[in-house]
Amino acid sequence: MIKTVDLKKTFIGRGQTVYAVDGVTSHIKPSEVVVVIGPSGSGKSTYLRCLNGLETFTSGHIMIDGIDLASKKTDLNKVRREVGMVFQQFNLFPHKTVLENIVLAQKVVRKRKRAEAEEKARMLLQKVGIAEKENEYPIRLSGGQQQRVAIARALAMDPKIMLFDEPTSALDPEMVGEVLEVMKQLAREGMTMVVVTHEMGFAREVADRVLFMDQGKVVEEGTPEHFFTAPQEERTKAFLRQVL
Amino acid sequence: MSGGVVLYAAQSNPPIDAEIAEKGRFRTKTETGIDTLKTNKSVWPWHFLTIAILFMMVAGLWVATKKIDYTWRWNRIPQYFFYHDETLVPAPFDGRVASLSQNGNTTQIKLTGEDDEEKVFRVDSESVQVSENDDLFQGDSLGSTFQWRAGPLMVGLWNTLWISAAASVIGMIIGLVTGLCRVSNNPTLRSLSITYIELIRGTPLLVQIFIFYFFLGTVLDISRIIAGISALAIFAGAYVAEIIRAGIQSIPKGQMEAARSLGMNVPQAMVHIVLPQAFKRTLPPLAGQFISLIKDSSLVSIIAITDLTKSGREVITSTFATFEIWFVVALLYLMMTSVLSQVIAWVERRLAISD
Repeated sequence: MIKTVDLKKTFIGRGQTVYAVDGVTSHIKPSEVVVVIGPSGSGKSTYLRCLNGLETFTSGHIMIDGIDLASKKTDLNKVRREVGMVFQQFNLFPHKTVLENIVLAQKVVRKRKRAEAEEKARMLLQKVGIAEKENEYPIRLSGGQQQRVAIARALAMDPKIMLFDEPTSALDPEMVGEVLEVMKQLAREGMTMVVVTHEMGFAREVADRVLFMDQGKVVEEGTPEHFFTAPQEERTKAFLRQVL
Repeated sequence: MSGGVVLYAAQSNPPIDAEIAEKGRFRTKTETGIDTLKTNKSVWPWHFLTIAILFMMVAGLWVATKKIDYTWRWNRIPQYFFYHDETLVPAPFDGRVASLSQNGNTTQIKLTGEDDEEKVFRVDSESVQVSENDDLFQGDSLGSTFQWRAGPLMVGLWNTLWISAAASVIGMIIGLVTGLCRVSNNPTLRSLSITYIELIRGTPLLVQIFIFYFFLGTVLDISRIIAGISALAIFAGAYVAEIIRAGIQSIPKGQMEAARSLGMNVPQAMVHIVLPQAFKRTLPPLAGQFISLIKDSSLVSIIAITDLTKSGREVITSTFATFEIWFVVALLYLMMTSVLSQVIAWVERRLAISD
């Protein structure tokens, strides 16, 4: 479903070339849940943002459902419709109600009728458990509720892949659970997911595969059992000692 | 939100603020609460002082004007807003008054000519100058009709209003387009917009009006009113562009990213997500800009457009009521600007529901 081949992303700052993503090659299969972990600055968020074209990359290839993002002919807007994204800071549209947040892109991008889009939005709000908040503005919701609306908003576009960029990092501890619960449910339904997170519990429980990144490179990858119980690389062991 | 902060700052006690700043102490919520209580207790003597100072200034002015030789003629001002216009009704041919019939305030005069032609006129009853069977020559006055007409100040006020409104709308459009060019990725659009903004902001409006009227007006053969409105619109546009740019840049990058991640293209994201939020944030500075525009429109009087200022000058030449007219003109500008700022404050409150 997602193939990345020798993906590189460099920034040039003050005459120095910084490799944010340095030769990542991976293949994510349909319905697979891949959790990307690593210390901050390891390039995991940049890698994720490359996957839906929010960051341009310097070299390499990303194939989403057979479409090469590196090709100039690719319409990124069309690709992004199929790839949902959930952000650390939620990024709900503050000037629109919860319902409008979910309806807007369906109307503008998918050209759905208002009634159809609203029906879909209500169904998704029900699914993430905040159906009663549809007429509130985002500011009146808690962080956990906002993030669940953000997930519903992404799902409304019927994406084939969902990307999560540290979805629980900006939440109060007591709200982490409700967001992870929604994500777990999605995983159970067979959504293809790439999740950047610091929630080791989530990785252990839900991930089919864990990628550990450091300094732009994938240091180690494997199933959660392998990763958390028998890591091979020194760097991985050092990281796990810190976080577990 | 910011309104609240400003309000607090205005109410807080400067010496206490200074003291706290001096000690470099962090102000907790309870501390500010106590501050507000203190100032609430002792705020009315300050209001009294304010009123006293204003009163003394006005009284001083009054005493000063007493000392010069100036007769105030406020009673002459209203007729320059509206006046009762008298139109004489002349007889169109030689003839005789056949009948007079009064009907309320108007009187019907029936006139028969030498070759039996008949004509009926209506004039104001009090102005009738003929009686039945009078012989009349062509051009003799039958009476007059009266009509309320707008005086020069009213005409000037109306001109200022529509010139400012037209310039505001055009300026807003120019500013929006330029502001979007200013934040675009295209180097040509960016450079062009920066050149325009710098050119306009770096030269006086009065000089721009002269250039528009004398140079462009001659070269492109445009009328003075078009020249005046364009000069104002293009002047305002440069400032609006910078306000719009600041507004767009103040919206967190995540908003654009979220919109793009849902598959919207840049124009869609701008129209649906970024601009509505930017508009809300830029409303107060935009209001200031358009209030300035109303005031700046007084400069077009220099190219002989009869706006409020020019009307004021014209009335002064015929009345010599210099002081009164300028006070009245100032008051009219003040009324226009305060109505506009009230309207915008109302829009701001409407938009604040999502805060």
